[in-house]
Amino acid sequence: MRLNSISRAAGAGVLVALLTATVLPPDVRAAGQTLTIGIDLPISGADAAIGVPTANGAMLAIEEANKHGLPGGYKLASNLLDDAVQGKHDPAAGAQNVKTFIADPSVMAMIGPFNSNVAKSEIPLTNDAGLAQISPSATNDGLTIGEDAKRLRVANPDVNSFFRVCTRDSRQGAALAQFGKKLGFKKVFVIDDNETYGKGLADVFEASFKAAGGTSLGHEHITANQQDFKALLTKVKETSPDAVFFGGTTSTGGGLLRRQMGDVGLNGAPYIGGDGIGDTDEFVKEAGPMAQNVYYSIAAPDAEKLASAKTFVAAYKARFHDTPGPYSANAYSAALIEIAAIEKAIKADGGKIPTRAEVLKNVAATRDLDTPIGKIGFDANGDTTAPILTLMKLAAGGKVITVDQIVLK
Amino acid sequence: MDVFLQQLVNGISLGGIYALIALGYTMVYGIIELINFAHGDVYTLGTFFSLAILTLLGVTGVVTGPLLIVIVVVTMLGAMIACGLVGVVIERLAYRRLRNAPRLAPLITAIGMSFILENVMQYWRGPSPVPFPDLIPNPDVHLGIVTVATKQILVVVLAVVMMLVLQVFIYRTRLGKAMRATAQDRDAAQLMGIDINTTIALTFLIGSALAGAAGFVSGVYYGSTWFFNGFAAGLKAFTAAVLGGIGNLAGAMLGGFLIGLIEAMTTQLISDQWSNVVVFSVLVLVLIFRPSGLLGESLPAKV
Repeated sequence: MRLNSISRAAGAGVLVALLTATVLPPDVRAAGQTLTIGIDLPISGADAAIGVPTANGAMLAIEEANKHGLPGGYKLASNLLDDAVQGKHDPAAGAQNVKTFIADPSVMAMIGPFNSNVAKSEIPLTNDAGLAQISPSATNDGLTIGEDAKRLRVANPDVNSFFRVCTRDSRQGAALAQFGKKLGFKKVFVIDDNETYGKGLADVFEASFKAAGGTSLGHEHITANQQDFKALLTKVKETSPDAVFFGGTTSTGGGLLRRQMGDVGLNGAPYIGGDGIGDTDEFVKEAGPMAQNVYYSIAAPDAEKLASAKTFVAAYKARFHDTPGPYSANAYSAALIEIAAIEKAIKADGGKIPTRAEVLKNVAATRDLDTPIGKIGFDANGDTTAPILTLMKLAAGGKVITVDQIVLK
Repeated sequence: MDVFLQQLVNGISLGGIYALIALGYTMVYGIIELINFAHGDVYTLGTFFSLAILTLLGVTGVVTGPLLIVIVVVTMLGAMIACGLVGVVIERLAYRRLRNAPRLAPLITAIGMSFILENVMQYWRGPSPVPFPDLIPNPDVHLGIVTVATKQILVVVLAVVMMLVLQVFIYRTRLGKAMRATAQDRDAAQLMGIDINTTIALTFLIGSALAGAAGFVSGVYYGSTWFFNGFAAGLKAFTAAVLGGIGNLAGAMLGGFLIGLIEAMTTQLISDQWSNVVVFSVLVLVLIFRPSGLLGESLPAKV
C-alpha cells in the first residue's frame, strides 16, 4: 500500500527529528533565550504582609536587569512560588518548590526562603543540586555555621550553596538583649514559638540578657495553632516582668499573644521581639488595641534612611506604588548578586548558557558588590560580610519609629 | 492561691467554648453514631457569620447599653440559624445517602466536608487571621481575689444555659422524645410513626446552631478568628465529648470544662507546651479505666 509506506516514512522522519532535538546538548542551543531565577517566599496568608514586598524587591531587580539587557542577548525570567500552606510558611511546601526549580534546567539560581525552618528543609536539596540560594531574611545560626550547618550539607559536605544577606540570630539576639538593657528592662519573661527561628532567637536573647546582668523570669514555648494564651499570660503576669520577649513570627502567634496580654492585665508591659514580628501591617491587625509599646529588630537596614538605597526606594515606589517592606532591599540585593554572577558566567563562557556550578562559584566569590544595603560580600560560611541591624518601635496608632541602626562587626 | 483561682477562671472560660462545640459532636454521635468531623469547621463558620452580621449592622467597636444586648442577641441568633442550616445541608448532602453504608464511608465524607468548609472560608475571608470587633466593653468584675472579665462570664453562662435548655428540650418535649427514640432504635422509631429523616435533620440543626453560638462567643472572647481555627478546637471538643462519654450531653459539658481546666493548670504548674500532652494522657487513662467515658453509662438515654 502506497499510502501506508508514505506515512511510515513520514513517521520515521518525525522520529529522527525528535531524537535529534533531544540529544542536542543544551549549551549549543541558540543564544538569546531565557534564564530563570527561582523565588521561594511565603506570599499568602498571614505571612503575605511581609513576603509579598520581599518578593517585589527581587522582581524589581530582575525587571531592571532585563531593561539594561544581559550579555549574549539572554532574557531573565523569575519563577515565584509560594511556600505558605494555610497561610503560614511551611518547610514541606518550600522543599517542593525547590524541587521544581531544580527540575527546570533554565533555573540558574534561587532567592529565598524567608523563614529559617523552611531553609532547613531546602538547603540539603540545593546542596545536592549545586544551585546557589540566597535568603533575604532567614537568620537562624545553624543554617550557616557550626555542626548544624554541616549536617544540612548532606550530598556535598565541602560545598556551600546557601548564602544570606541578613545577619545571624546570635548577633540579632545579642543586640536585642543590649537594647533591652538600654531601655531599662531588668526582669524579662521569654516566650517562643518552638520553631527553628523563634526558639533559636529566644535562647540567644535569654543567654545574652542574663550575661548582661538581666534576669529571665521564665522561658515558655507555645504550640502550633494555639489560640488561647490566657493561662500562660496569667502565669507571666504573676512574675511582674518589665517586658515580655517573644521569639517567633506574627503568623505563629506573635500578634495574638500580644493582644491577649491586654486581656489578662499585662497592658503596661512592653513587648520585644525579633524581625519575625516586624511585619507591622499584619501585626497591628492581629494585636489590635495592644499594637503599641512594641520593640523589634529588623535584620536589614532601614532602606528609607540609607543613602545607598535612595535610587532603590524611588524605583520601588514608582513600580509598586507602596513603600518597600523591611526585607525588600535585602531581596533586591540578593537578586543583584545572582544577576551579577549569571552575567559573569555568560561572559566567561563566551555567550554559552552558563552552568549552575559556575553561577554558584561566582555567588560565593562575591566581594564588595554595590547594593542598596551597602557593599556586600560573603564569607566562607555564606554569611554576609556587612551585617546591619535596625531597631524599631511600634507606637500607638500603628506608627513605626526607627530607634537605632547598628552596623555589627 | 489567687493565681490558682485566676487559672480556674481561665480554664472554665476556655472549657465553656469546648463544651458548646462538644454538645454538637455528642448529639450527632448519639443519634447516628457518626463522628461529624466537619463540626469544628461549622464552629469557625459561626465566627465568620457573626462577623458578616456585625459588618452588616455597621458595628466596628465597643457598644454599650441596651443596644449591646440587641446586637448580641441578633448576631448570635443569626449565626446560630445560619450554622444550623449549614448543618442540615451537610447532613442532606454528605450523610443521609450513606446512612446504611459501611461506617467508614460517612466518616470519609465528614472529613471531606471539613476540607470543603475550610477552603470555602479561606476563599471567603482569605488565609490570614481576621480581626473581630471588640463588641463587649471589658470591665473586669472583681470577685474577692479573682478578676473575671465580662466576656468570660458570657462564655460560661451561655454554655450552661445552652446545656440546660437542651436537656429540657430532649427530656420534656415530643420532638426530644422522638430524638431519643431514634437514637435507641431507628427502625422501631420509624414503625412508631416517627419521621426519622426530620428527626436526624433536627439533631444536625440544633448541634450546628450550638457550634454557631460557640463561634460567636469565641470571636468576642479572642477578638480574632482564622479559617483553620476549627481544626484544633474541634479536636479538643471531640476529645471532651469522648472524655465525658460520647452521646451524653452532661458528659460533653463536663469533658469540655475538664479539658479547659487541665490545660490552664498544666500551663500554670508545668509549662504551656505540655498542656496538650497532659490533656491527651488524661484521655488515654480515662478510656483505659472507663472505656465509655466519665458519664458514659447512661446509654439508654443517649442522644
